[in-house]
Amino acid sequence: MNPQILVLITGGIVWSIGILGLIIHRNMIQICVSLSVMESAIIIVLVALSYVPEAMAPILQGSSGPFTDPLPQALALTAIVIGAGILAIALSLTVAMYRTFGTTDLQVIFSREHSDL
Amino acid sequence: MIKSASRFFLFFFSSLFALGFGGTITYLILFALDVVSEPPNLGYVLTAIEDTGSINVVTAILLDYRGFDTLGEATVIFTSVAVTASILGKPDFLFERPVLNVITQRAIGFLLPIFFMFPLYIITHGHLSPGGGFQGGVSLAVLVVLLHVVYGHQLGLNKVPIRFLSSCEYWAALSFGLVGLAGLFHGVGYLANLSVGFPQGTPGSLVSGGLIPLLNLIVGIKVAAGLSGLYITLAGNVRKGL
Repeated sequence: MNPQILVLITGGIVWSIGILGLIIHRNMIQICVSLSVMESAIIIVLVALSYVPEAMAPILQGSSGPFTDPLPQALALTAIVIGAGILAIALSLTVAMYRTFGTTDLQVIFSREHSDL
Repeated sequence: MIKSASRFFLFFFSSLFALGFGGTITYLILFALDVVSEPPNLGYVLTAIEDTGSINVVTAILLDYRGFDTLGEATVIFTSVAVTASILGKPDFLFERPVLNVITQRAIGFLLPIFFMFPLYIITHGHLSPGGGFQGGVSLAVLVVLLHVVYGHQLGLNKVPIRFLSSCEYWAALSFGLVGLAGLFHGVGYLANLSVGFPQGTPGSLVSGGLIPLLNLIVGIKVAAGLSGLYITLAGNVRKGL
């Protein structure tokens, strides 16, 4: 089987795991971890897209053979940087939430809001 | 409180939804892959050395072809540090975490200079080998985190003060923006590299590629300062209990 397709399917599985964690978890920290997992899936897909059969890393020193496509790798770097920024902001919002409500569990917070009404 | 049966159904339907979502997206990507087939050697890979002078094409794309985009990435880090600091406030380190034992402290003391060589190598050889400013900057930030974890916050803040980190951050951002202006004065374009007249050097040597090593250094300093600032902001706001 083509390794590119195999890696792309792996990326899809990791994406599904991230979506599942995003849906079933009620704790903000677990939601942040799920976001991070989904972002890893995107990076896996970007790296798989740069695959060229029997190619080398795009460092042009003394070889003229086929090289992998460097553009998705550069975009993967962008995705990693933006993911790190998003994760930092999400975690700091979680800390602010813990200071306000005393818990990071969304279900507890929502039920508390309902009991006040 | 959700009963166990309904929790099982929630889990079941969530799994179905996640599988369907992931499967659809995977199918779409595979379909697009069939439509678009790439030639084995792309044009910009073959002309990268003449265009930029850098033998690492990923760095050539990041800092030459898409240099403006990298300025945007650096701004993203800057913005996330600013937002985190404005949400959490000034770090006060009320909760001092226990430091590691004496043996670890002495060992890390001997090893830190060796650890310091790795990010410097990654940053300065960004246009020659895999790596570059972002990767080396993250490795530098990890050293600051190591300092805080092993020796405690007090010594970490004495060695690398917050004021130093923030001045690194904004001076690096400013110099990235100013270096790009050279292209505008020559009428070429913002962040233009070899067409402005920066020396190309021998491709494959340490000083080559015009602006690229300088921009790598600037990005490395900026990412290191930004990420260690993020760590200090998050770790300095830990409270005991609430």
